[in-house]
Amino acid sequence: MAFGCFLVASSLLLLSFFPEACYGVTFSSLQRTLLVTASPTTGQVLKAGQDQLTVTWSYDQTFPAGTDSSYKTVTVKLCYAPISQVDRAWRKTVDNLMKDKTCQFKVVVQPYSPSSNFSTTWTVEKDIPTAIYFVRAYAYDSNGVEAAYGQTTDAHKTTNLFEIQAITGRHASLDIASACFSAFSIVSLIGFFYMEKRKAKLSQQT
Amino acid sequence: MEKPDHTEEANPDRPKFALPVDSEHKATVFRLFTAAQPHMRAFHLSWISFFCCFVSTFAAPPLLPIIRDNLNLTATDIGNAGIASVSGAVFARVAMGTACDLFGPRLASASLILLTSPAVYCFSVANSATSFLLLRFFTGFSLATFVSTQFWMSSMFSAPVVGTANGVSGGWGNLGGGNFSQLKKSGDKHKENLPQVVRHAVTNYRGWILALTYGYCFGVELTIDNIIAQYFYDRFNVNLHTAGIIAASFGLANIFSRPAGGILSDIVAKKFGMRGRLWTLWVVQTVGGLLCIVLGRVGSLGASIAVMVMFSVFVQAACGLTFGVVPFVSRSAHGNNDNGDEGSGGGNSNSDGNDGDGGGGSSGMMAASSIVVVVAMAWSLGIISGMTGGGGNVGAVLTQVIFFRGSRYKTETGITLMGIMMICCTLPMVLIYFPQWGGMFCGPSSKGATEEDYYMSEWNLAEKEKSFHQASLKFADNSRSERGTRVGSAPTPTDETPIHV
Repeated sequence: MAFGCFLVASSLLLLSFFPEACYGVTFSSLQRTLLVTASPTTGQVLKAGQDQLTVTWSYDQTFPAGTDSSYKTVTVKLCYAPISQVDRAWRKTVDNLMKDKTCQFKVVVQPYSPSSNFSTTWTVEKDIPTAIYFVRAYAYDSNGVEAAYGQTTDAHKTTNLFEIQAITGRHASLDIASACFSAFSIVSLIGFFYMEKRKAKLSQQT
Repeated sequence: MEKPDHTEEANPDRPKFALPVDSEHKATVFRLFTAAQPHMRAFHLSWISFFCCFVSTFAAPPLLPIIRDNLNLTATDIGNAGIASVSGAVFARVAMGTACDLFGPRLASASLILLTSPAVYCFSVANSATSFLLLRFFTGFSLATFVSTQFWMSSMFSAPVVGTANGVSGGWGNLGGGNFSQLKKSGDKHKENLPQVVRHAVTNYRGWILALTYGYCFGVELTIDNIIAQYFYDRFNVNLHTAGIIAASFGLANIFSRPAGGILSDIVAKKFGMRGRLWTLWVVQTVGGLLCIVLGRVGSLGASIAVMVMFSVFVQAACGLTFGVVPFVSRSAHGNNDNGDEGSGGGNSNSDGNDGDGGGGSSGMMAASSIVVVVAMAWSLGIISGMTGGGGNVGAVLTQVIFFRGSRYKTETGITLMGIMMICCTLPMVLIYFPQWGGMFCGPSSKGATEEDYYMSEWNLAEKEKSFHQASLKFADNSRSERGTRVGSAPTPTDETPIHV
């Protein structure tokens, strides 16, 4: 029985050394067939929860006909610029799109159509953290696998970057509560010592 | 385990306690499911308060995926905050040990907890990497309640049960109303010669080796507490809640695995003595290191959790096993009090042979300090334990600085390298040698060294004339069980008048 358990455990361990089963599409294999523009100008600061940004995308007609035959949907995403990825491994750019963490926020999902010019206005959501961003759109095929992309910045992600400022999360009520409870702790400690002294004095007198 | 205490009935003026007590008013039994004053009530209050302190110190790590974006932290900031959270306790434990000696554990721990709670409240006010680091630093001070918890348990419970009390309170913390004045220790307390005691402690190489090995079991445990939730969240894309639960299950094993390590040490010692304790500690910690290496290599979520759980059991058991050896390293540097140690559980049931006086405090020594300043200040709390315990925190600081700060290593690589370092830092254990019991590879000295020789070598002639060494003599006598059963019983003089008639 123990040997059986050992066999199961060791085979589990062995199997687990094999890398993850699915290996996704790589970013470098995608063609940049979408033209994407966004409303924020370079260096503009948007406030989360308040400001809006407008994204416009369309298919680049200069590509040979039929390139976009597999595209079914387009997802527009907000992506971190390299400067906001420094020393932050949880935002790292990896070529394998299944592991890539560059674009973590979805702006909008739209069905694909080759001739139209799609535009959407989106209010920056409250949970977007403070960082420098650009906008990228992925075209997906019917299997949900990336087929093409387009972005507002250049290949090195240096131009056309804008900043989003997150909500602060601090409220006056929280600050006051912290101060009150802290004061209560200190005061109760002083009161505690005072009571001890009094008890000691009383027991000395009796 | 109740011992009939005839002196109680003989003296009607003695205060009545709910539990049977010995001559020092320490409880001789440990009844978990009562809150009898003062012993069990003190026990329950102290493990609950220590548990709260542990929770507040390690509340931030599982929430780091949110906090890091909210405060715009880099990996370096996160690493620094993690280091700050464990280094704060290093200094606080020194002060805490002294405060317990001077004011008693009740006042000392109440003061510490009430003074660090503002830091916990102010977490909601943090708005930058600096403020976050400072808050984690000050909150980490509260881990010094470990010291007062163990001190308290050692004051309340006699030797046969102090190991259980220490182990359960420490383990359950890692996961009052008592009237200290009533329980003041009786017995002679001579003023120890501080420089002498320090000299004995720091020149005893075994203390340093144990500090190193403890740095790589308890230190690794503290490090994992700081990094594991983020690791699961980032590598396996589980949601925050799940990552937190997985991280919690690492600490949860402390409930049984740390006391189990101590108990295992005692079981092995019955048959194989000190050599058995050393071998078991080396094997368990090395297996822990191997599992740590595997943890960094495993690529799937299920297997990763399984390996992590096994790893936690081994590394925490190693912590308990360490404090099965620590009490025997030095007697003069062991302090006057029956103090607790870092949740080393039953390792202290080796107190079977000891009586309940001040010197018999087998297991519990306070984990006091870090190397330089603390050694000097920790004398009344047990320097060897202090060095070992301090080594634990220093190990945590070192490991996080080398492997988990900034972006030099991916977290999984850091975990694997930490496992390799664990194995390497456990190897020096083969150098530990007791002349009277042997070491891992050598048997006891053929010149017939005895326990008395070893422990008496710490006292000079002047001290022996004043009988300062009596407690050590008693301990030496009781520690003969460390020879194991394979060695014959110690030679007893048959033609002398017996001392006790």
